[in-house]
Amino acid sequence: MKPSHFNSCIYVQSETRNYSKIDSGSARTFKGDAPEDFVTCSCHFKITILLDPRRINHTESSTMTLFHFGNCFSLAYFPYFITYKCSGLSEYNAFWRCVQAGATYLFVQLCKMLFLATFFPTWEGAAGVYDFVGEFMKATVDLADLLGLHLVMSRNAGKGEYKIMVAAMGWATAELIMSRCIPLWVGARGIEFDWKYIQMSFDSNISLVHYIAMAAVVWMFTRYDLPKSFRLPVTILLGLCVYKGFLMELFVHVFLLGSWTALLVKAVLTGAISLCSLFLFVTLVHSN
Amino acid sequence: MFEEASEVLENMLKWSLPLSLVLFLVLVCPLRAEAAHEFSVYRMQQYDLQGQTYGSRNAILNTEARTVEAEVLSRRCVMMRLADFSYEKYQKALQQSAGAVVIILPQNMSTMPQDIVQQFMELEPELLATETIVPVYFALEDEELLSIYTQTQISSSSQGSSSAAEVLLHTATANGFQMVTSGAQSKAVSDWAITSLEGRLSGAGGEDLPTIVLVAHYDSFGVAPWLSYGADSNGSGVAILLELARLFSRLYSYKRTHAGRYNLLFFLSGGGKFNYQGTKRWLEDNLDHTDSSLLQDNVAFVLCLDTLGNSDNLYLHVSKPPKEGSPQHVLLKELETVVTHQHPDLKFSMVHKKINLADDTLAWEHERFGIRRLPAFTLSHLESHRSPARHSIMDMRSVSSSLEGAGEATAGPHVDLTKLRRNTKVIAETLARVIYNLTEKGVSGDLEIFTEQMQVQEDQLASLVDWLTAQPRAAQLLDKDSSIVNTLEYYLNHYLKDVKRHLVRADKRDPEFVFYDQLKQTMNAYRVKPAIFDLLLAFCIAAYLGVLYLAIQNFGLLYSFLRRVTAPRVKQH
Repeated sequence: MKPSHFNSCIYVQSETRNYSKIDSGSARTFKGDAPEDFVTCSCHFKITILLDPRRINHTESSTMTLFHFGNCFSLAYFPYFITYKCSGLSEYNAFWRCVQAGATYLFVQLCKMLFLATFFPTWEGAAGVYDFVGEFMKATVDLADLLGLHLVMSRNAGKGEYKIMVAAMGWATAELIMSRCIPLWVGARGIEFDWKYIQMSFDSNISLVHYIAMAAVVWMFTRYDLPKSFRLPVTILLGLCVYKGFLMELFVHVFLLGSWTALLVKAVLTGAISLCSLFLFVTLVHSN
Repeated sequence: MFEEASEVLENMLKWSLPLSLVLFLVLVCPLRAEAAHEFSVYRMQQYDLQGQTYGSRNAILNTEARTVEAEVLSRRCVMMRLADFSYEKYQKALQQSAGAVVIILPQNMSTMPQDIVQQFMELEPELLATETIVPVYFALEDEELLSIYTQTQISSSSQGSSSAAEVLLHTATANGFQMVTSGAQSKAVSDWAITSLEGRLSGAGGEDLPTIVLVAHYDSFGVAPWLSYGADSNGSGVAILLELARLFSRLYSYKRTHAGRYNLLFFLSGGGKFNYQGTKRWLEDNLDHTDSSLLQDNVAFVLCLDTLGNSDNLYLHVSKPPKEGSPQHVLLKELETVVTHQHPDLKFSMVHKKINLADDTLAWEHERFGIRRLPAFTLSHLESHRSPARHSIMDMRSVSSSLEGAGEATAGPHVDLTKLRRNTKVIAETLARVIYNLTEKGVSGDLEIFTEQMQVQEDQLASLVDWLTAQPRAAQLLDKDSSIVNTLEYYLNHYLKDVKRHLVRADKRDPEFVFYDQLKQTMNAYRVKPAIFDLLLAFCIAAYLGVLYLAIQNFGLLYSFLRRVTAPRVKQH
């Protein structure tokens, strides 16, 4: 376990004593090799940087790390924004309903954590041995997610698509804020570069699709007019949704996948689940 | 109306909430950092001696790492391994105004070949002689540091060669490292006290006996204070002095052997490597400021012990050849007698060097006494005071000992216990012959006094040297409460009487010596990507988001496709 320590933002000032001052974001100031040779340029900087990347003064590293944070955040957040706009939810004034869905997400997570802490205390298993049964039981607790989604959807009146989208958007956005924004803020702004932040942002995109599929499956499950032949596929999909996390960990552990490969597998799995659920949804909705 | 208000509020919140959150966090939140690798680094010496500044003036750094092969070194941290170190490369780094220099030393010096160690030892004084504002650090190598060095070397040496496209690809994929130290800027330590210890053994028979003074300085010196272990110089001198204290206190405590007609005064001086500050002030206090002291009365001679842990040579350094009939001459003769009769393999000679007051620093410790007109010698196995073995970080305790069988010979100066024991015996026998006047009484040169119960104990010497070299003993690190000083005092108290401490503090207005702090730091190496990488990533993400936008816009196409696929099935029902 490497110890980590805190650097206050003041360290930027201590650099500026030795190097050139950081100006506003649009202009870049960098020194040539001779100390008196200050060159300031704003619109030409991209071309110059491309031609001579060695001349970049690394006091820009602090603005660059904020830039990196901006990259990751936009990668994570824009799909949500695009989905919100394009699905037509904004016309239905669905913002507060999404916030309510988000609040329900928080509540469900809290209940799950309490439950896990009470009934699954940390126990001294053998280190390195992956505890299949224990993790399986923990994953079962994720059934509470389904209940939560059902709760949200039942309180919203409207068409099936509207209900699904509202519930999924709110749920996924709440998950984005809670579990991804803080690590991104703290980690992606650091000097140290790590690919895991980009991976985290991709993961949030995948989660969005996953929650939409999950909401659709839950909606279908609770329909009174669900044909008998659909029961089984819907139940299977439901099970897959809940245990998807567990399955992913299993794959990573057994096949020793690298982080990018795991992400790819997760994307493929989520894509498959969502295609199946979309297929079933279309069939259900348009069979009437 | 409420709907409109809620819509306005909704829009406001949607946009202002994330923005205000970001602003708030930017202003308030501290930045938490986790390093790729964290390691201890030891700074080069920084001190002022008699107004002259030496060493590296700066302690903080926050720069990107490069190796010497890179073209642009300015404001970068230049990393060098000891195996590739040369003075020209160091000069090149300094001339190009590098941001810092980090020299990586191997964990185990004995893996280094002899010539590299020798070359480095000779370069150490030159590194210190030029005052530089570039912080110079030494680090001990481990696997991660080595991998950081290799990666930096690859990226540095490939910088000059390729086209813009290759450079682009390279900067996108390679890892750079940012080196950051956590401490503050170095500043002078105020009111540092250098401690010296003295103790005595009184001779039998009256008040006005002549005194023999035995002196050894206990601090060590090297290019980095935290890496100066000083095994041979002057750990060997201290070990011999303590062993002599033990032997002579035994002789002086038995009534039958307590016929010695000399007082013995033992002095462990601090600040020895900084022009013998401890000795200088002790002499001033004893000769100028006190009414009676052993030093003011009859001093037969002063014998300084400096670097006696190795080799088969023995030199007696004098500033004035001793006159016939004086006690100094007696010592010289006795030394020659003991060496020729008991240790013929030892080559002994006297070296005469006049005191040169025009030099920056004095050569040997006896010159301090010589300036105050006290007859003094220094005994050493080194022929010249300029020998690099006297101030090198390579001077470390070796693993080998004759008792355990032959260990591997280390490349640098080190202590050989058999030779240390032999030198201790030579000195002890000589002193005994002088104190008890054995030659005049007709005792032959073959008689060994220190045998059987009184013999020089090699394991005692071994444990002393081991203890002394277990921690660095640079003068800047030993204040009056340090464990080394306390242990030495305790040891002397065990065998000698009247053990006293003597403190030296630099004069406020015109200090003879000034020490600086921040000698040991923790350096963090952060993996960084160049700025252009972020731009590339931004372009890629923008492209990805564009594709996603198009996909979501045209989601309806997928929907209608699926509808068409399922429609025939409906028709079948």
